[in-house]
Amino acid sequence: MRRSQPLVYATLLLAIAFSAFPLYWLFVVATRSNDVVGDWPPPLLPGGNFGDNLGRLFDADEANFLTGMVNSAIASVTVTVAVVFFSTLAGFAFAKLKFRGRGALLFVILATMMIPVQMGIIPLYMIMVELGWQNRLEAVIVPFLVSAFGVFLMRQYAERAVPDELIEAARVDGASTFRIYWTVVLPALRPGAAVLGLFTFMGTWNEFLWPLAVLEADNPTVQFSLSQLSTTYYTDYTLMFTGALVAIVPLTFVFIAFGKQIIGGIMEGAVKA
Amino acid sequence: MSARLIRRRSARPVRRMSARRLRPLAAVALAGALMATAACGGGEGDESGSGKTTLVVKTFAQFGYEDLYKEYEAAHPGIEIKEENIAQFGDYLPKLQQWMASGSGAGDIVALEEGVISKFIDKPDQFVNLLDHGAGDMEGEFLDWKWKQALSADGKHLIGLGTDVGAQGMCYRTDLFKKAGLPTDREEVGKLWPTWDDFLATGEKFTKAKTGAAFFDSAGMVYQNILMQQGDHTYYDTDNKLVIDSNPAVKSAWDQTVEMIDAGLSGEITAWSPQWNAGFKKGTFATIPCPSWMLGTIEKQAGPENAGKWDVAKVPGNGAVRGGSFLAVPKQSKHQKEAAELAKFLTDAKGQTSAFKAKSNFPSALKAIDDPAVQSFTNPYFNNAPVGKIFGESVKGLKPVYLGPENTPINDRVGQALIAVEQGKLKPDEAWDKAVDDAKSVAR
Amino acid sequence: MALHLTKSRPPTADLHPEPAPPRGRLLSRIDTRWSPYLFIAPFFVIFAVFGIYPLVYTAWVSMHDWEIAGKGEFVGLANYTALFADADFWNALVNTLGMLVLATVPQLVIALALAALLNQSLRGATFLRMGVLIPIVTSVAAVGIVFSQIYDRDVGMANGLIGLFGIEPIDWRADKWSSWIAISSMVNWRWTGYNAIIYLAAMQSIPRELYEAARIDGAGWLRQFRSITVPMIRPAVIFTLIVSTIAGMQLFTEPLMFGQGAYAISGGSLRQFQTVAMYMFEKAFRDFDYGYGSAVAWMIFLVIMLLTAVNFLITRKRG
Repeated sequence: MRRSQPLVYATLLLAIAFSAFPLYWLFVVATRSNDVVGDWPPPLLPGGNFGDNLGRLFDADEANFLTGMVNSAIASVTVTVAVVFFSTLAGFAFAKLKFRGRGALLFVILATMMIPVQMGIIPLYMIMVELGWQNRLEAVIVPFLVSAFGVFLMRQYAERAVPDELIEAARVDGASTFRIYWTVVLPALRPGAAVLGLFTFMGTWNEFLWPLAVLEADNPTVQFSLSQLSTTYYTDYTLMFTGALVAIVPLTFVFIAFGKQIIGGIMEGAVKA
Repeated sequence: MSARLIRRRSARPVRRMSARRLRPLAAVALAGALMATAACGGGEGDESGSGKTTLVVKTFAQFGYEDLYKEYEAAHPGIEIKEENIAQFGDYLPKLQQWMASGSGAGDIVALEEGVISKFIDKPDQFVNLLDHGAGDMEGEFLDWKWKQALSADGKHLIGLGTDVGAQGMCYRTDLFKKAGLPTDREEVGKLWPTWDDFLATGEKFTKAKTGAAFFDSAGMVYQNILMQQGDHTYYDTDNKLVIDSNPAVKSAWDQTVEMIDAGLSGEITAWSPQWNAGFKKGTFATIPCPSWMLGTIEKQAGPENAGKWDVAKVPGNGAVRGGSFLAVPKQSKHQKEAAELAKFLTDAKGQTSAFKAKSNFPSALKAIDDPAVQSFTNPYFNNAPVGKIFGESVKGLKPVYLGPENTPINDRVGQALIAVEQGKLKPDEAWDKAVDDAKSVAR
Repeated sequence: MALHLTKSRPPTADLHPEPAPPRGRLLSRIDTRWSPYLFIAPFFVIFAVFGIYPLVYTAWVSMHDWEIAGKGEFVGLANYTALFADADFWNALVNTLGMLVLATVPQLVIALALAALLNQSLRGATFLRMGVLIPIVTSVAAVGIVFSQIYDRDVGMANGLIGLFGIEPIDWRADKWSSWIAISSMVNWRWTGYNAIIYLAAMQSIPRELYEAARIDGAGWLRQFRSITVPMIRPAVIFTLIVSTIAGMQLFTEPLMFGQGAYAISGGSLRQFQTVAMYMFEKAFRDFDYGYGSAVAWMIFLVIMLLTAVNFLITRKRG
């Protein structure tokens, strides 16, 4: 390992400053009154209106912000658990097990990622009508319990992260394939699975187009609520920014939880080296 | 590498896990149960537990019907009304397409904007003919052209009943006018621009005074206003033939607008952008053609500190409207009769007056326009401007305009061509040719 | 043991050197034979229910003249032939490919560099690693408003910045090159940290012993990076390349937010930055030409398939 140099820190801190700036700006606007967008020079320090804005956010009847937060939490947790489980399972199979049609089936999975999402809305909605899931939370959960992206990511990750020798050893010991998955593969995939979990949670939380299509404003997800905050004719930026900021709070906890797994993996490797 | 592997292998991880064997099973069971419960859910009927008939009304933006719903429910004990609103029109359009394509989700009453309803006039089958439900009696109550916008060509199928119309005024900043040495009183300001040529001349005077502000926000709004005053028809003739390049009305609206761009009157600020919103407060532009519903926007964006700085004068030319909507009953509805009754109630003169008071949606029913409650309505934020009267005159002075099936997409493209002129990306002639070509390909 | 490790052979129980008891052996055979299918079954079951139908349905719609007022005639491939002559479609395709290159290349290179920097024992490693991931928590709406502020013509920060160097303000939305740069910067901003973390996760699975051996051989940091790190994380690189290509071909949200006003879906006054996904959405949901929009959707699907196949071929050849 190369010695860490001040230059490394400087580069990383610069990257973080770039990354964090819009978030900081979000915070600035959320603490001010509704007139800073378009000001020049732009205000860079927070103001004192946050409490006031927060009150207006939860008072906005048409947005149902609280319902949106709860709905999004339920959907994101369920989808994340399912995606991580099914993706590691399938990713392991594609990376490490041989079976007839493996290449073709993997390509089918890849191909499903290529379908432009916006177009699936109408036929998918028709299925929801058949199932009676219009304006129900199942509609934003069940179709997303598996993810082609997740299978592909886990397959690529498992290829290198799970040594063949370990699987063989377990097999010699008479372990079933599922036991091998659970005791050998899953622990080895942990950092990668944490990355997948993090992305899946964020992705589900920030999903907009499909919830808008299948849900109604009285039973929204959080992004739907945010969109309801601005009307066709009038945009209250402060309120939207306050909503966006509050919507990030649960993400921060998830971020830290999964982040620990990712970092944990690194530490494990470092100790062994 | 090998050392690490051997070490782990000798630990025989496989043996250690027997105690944890149940966990994977539990995970699978959980996933299975989840899917099973999910699959069993749904299938709720639209009858509520109380045995009442629930009517679902689909709207966008704000229709201001809350009080009317309560009144109707009180008078009809068997009816319950649920409004499902989507705040942004842009979000509403994909849903509308989806409801129509799938034959489900449009509720019992659906709000249609005028550009949208023109898509259905030739194929009205997806909507209940309101003439079958006694709506014919209401014909005389509406502005004639508003009624006809929702009526099929053979006059036998009425898709929708008009709600509001976007009656136009011209909003202006009194402080900027004063700075430029122009009159500020709304009567006198109105007299500055009997025609659009006078509006241009005023703009040139304003620009010479170098106040730092543009005369108007963007060319698209002005163009729309001029176009809708030309009367009769615009891009299509009444036989749905595309006449954008042969109708002198369109070209003359275009030319007048381009003249104003050339004179440097436009602030070139895209409507509905953040800078446009901010412009109301900061006074980046001095005038904007404002439909009735825009007054609320201006008030909120400009903020209380600018109260009294904005005022409303009459629009150049003879009245104008932009936008406006209808209520229709989709054939998907299981309660067509009840829904038609409700639609009639919401759109009659009394209903429209109530909606105007609630959300400034200017009525399309004649009686409502003449209603003293509307006529005497003044807006304190705009120096107590008598907006009811100003907008009423604007609406009544207007000749009916036929829009045609692809009006909205064509209008979008002409608007973009004007922006290209503003940006200096195209010369006016090139932009015009492009707009015409685009219109032809849309109308394909 | 050596037998099991040969890559070309499936690790089946048949090859087990010591014969297992008959019953166990049968179960074991069933297990090795069918477990893989069981493991990938959830994906295919759910996809069969929620994925295949939309795909087929869209193909069927694309062969109709289908407006919002209802399904029209069957027109066969007429929508597709019209598409080939549609200048707006080709314009959108060129825009998409242009922004794909401008966004993907810097994004992956910077991500790789960031991951390499983060894959060291640093003080405050947690903070630094989390820091680069911040953009993915920010909501789409907020990103839109912030960047429209940055790239505003009159009061934008980007113009303020280049003004310090005496450069004239740029109307970012007016030209292809400027709008492509602006949108690519939004894409890069949002997804670089995301790719960096994927690389980082892959880098952790590289055994430290390899680096130690290389160091003993006297290999420098750059040499180690090139001959150990990059080859070892190859699957992750291929993954990000393919995913970025697919996502780039479906680019929708960022250009939509960059464009302003009620008709932002057109991607500029002369469609300077309209992507194919935006064009599809405009056709299907704004012009209400659902049949034509579906044809655009299928074309996007086919183009992505083609690009992915090319990607695969290139990476396979190199490997």
